[in-house]
Amino acid sequence: MTNRLRVLAVDILAPLAAIAALVFIGAALAWPRWWVAVCTALCLLVVQGVVVNLVLYRRDGVTVGTDDDGPELRFGVIAVAAAALAAAVFVGYTQWTLPDRNLNRDSAEVVGIASSVSEASATFSPSSPNASIDRATALMSPRRAEAYRNEFAAVAKDLTSRNISGQAQTISAGVEAIGPAVASVAVVMRGTQNAPGKPADIAVLALRVTLEKEAGKWLVTDVAPINAR
Amino acid sequence: MPEEQTRGRSVYGIAAIVFGVIGVAAAVLAAMIWSGHRGEVIERSHQTEVLQTAAQWTGLLINLNKDSAAENLQQLRDGTVGQLNVEFDNTMAPFTSLVAKLDSKTVGQVESVSIETLHHQPGDAQGRPQEDPQPELASVAARTDTVLVVATSVNQNAGAQPTTVRWNLRLDVSDVDGKLLVSHLETIR
Repeated sequence: MTNRLRVLAVDILAPLAAIAALVFIGAALAWPRWWVAVCTALCLLVVQGVVVNLVLYRRDGVTVGTDDDGPELRFGVIAVAAAALAAAVFVGYTQWTLPDRNLNRDSAEVVGIASSVSEASATFSPSSPNASIDRATALMSPRRAEAYRNEFAAVAKDLTSRNISGQAQTISAGVEAIGPAVASVAVVMRGTQNAPGKPADIAVLALRVTLEKEAGKWLVTDVAPINAR
Repeated sequence: MPEEQTRGRSVYGIAAIVFGVIGVAAAVLAAMIWSGHRGEVIERSHQTEVLQTAAQWTGLLINLNKDSAAENLQQLRDGTVGQLNVEFDNTMAPFTSLVAKLDSKTVGQVESVSIETLHHQPGDAQGRPQEDPQPELASVAARTDTVLVVATSVNQNAGAQPTTVRWNLRLDVSDVDGKLLVSHLETIR
């Protein structure tokens, strides 16, 4: 019974696990050419080992798993298989789990930032004309923030002189496309403009907000209407 | 000597068992990592299909023309399920009557599609998720995703200036037996 378990664990499962781990690493790395070569060589070595083990079993009636005089070799086989599996876990975690997790976290983050910037860009109060500009530019890349300030300065002056105020609320937003360092978010919001003595002007605006990740922080690089035609 | 040998063996034996346990644990972890990643990949490909379905359906809707209205409407109807399918004629009545009345040529283009991840109900500052308005759909649809579609269409009416119509739509796309069908249509106003 013990011998059968040893054969199963050391002579059958260990080489299979090692080969499976090598293939797993290949899948996680998306099979680069160098790994195809390394994996082929290592798999052939494992198969060779299995064949030698089988031949010796037929000659001596004892395998690596059942040989009481060779505990070092048995330990070596198990250690190599365990090391291959541990490497597979490491590569799988760094190549699959972490990027997946980052993508989901980034998706949620960019939508929040895009929504805030869009709302801020359509919000204006004559009493504190710079408040919403500051709020929007805080989330923008430095270059874009400066351009935005320059663009908005004239508009702000005009709106202040006519005593117009504006508010906006995001109705719906979603990620159009996202990569590790760039993202594009669609934001649909309802903007309300109030001018003294006039009924409120309500409009639905669709904006595309593009973002870039700089030093681990998502910053807005552009805000533009989606249907500009 | 024999005693030492026995001890040496048992040390290797214990080490082998320890590494065996590590190996088994690593195999379990690897399986978990793989299934987690597979889930993500399936989710992403499903979202892509949902976006495609929404874009195609909207494409038909914003390109309704007098000549092809009947055919297009049938295709639109075939792509719906639930409440929208039941009330299809009512929902589409304004579009159909307009198309029939006007000798209009419409050229529409979908500008943006995205899976909605943020939604504020009008008047709901907390952005609470909407109560499921179609309980009967929940029993047949495996899942429902909301798609935000922004589109533009240009109406070329006979003898008039072309008018541009901007569409800001929220579409619910439901997975019914592996088929993706539109179950809700809302124009954001």
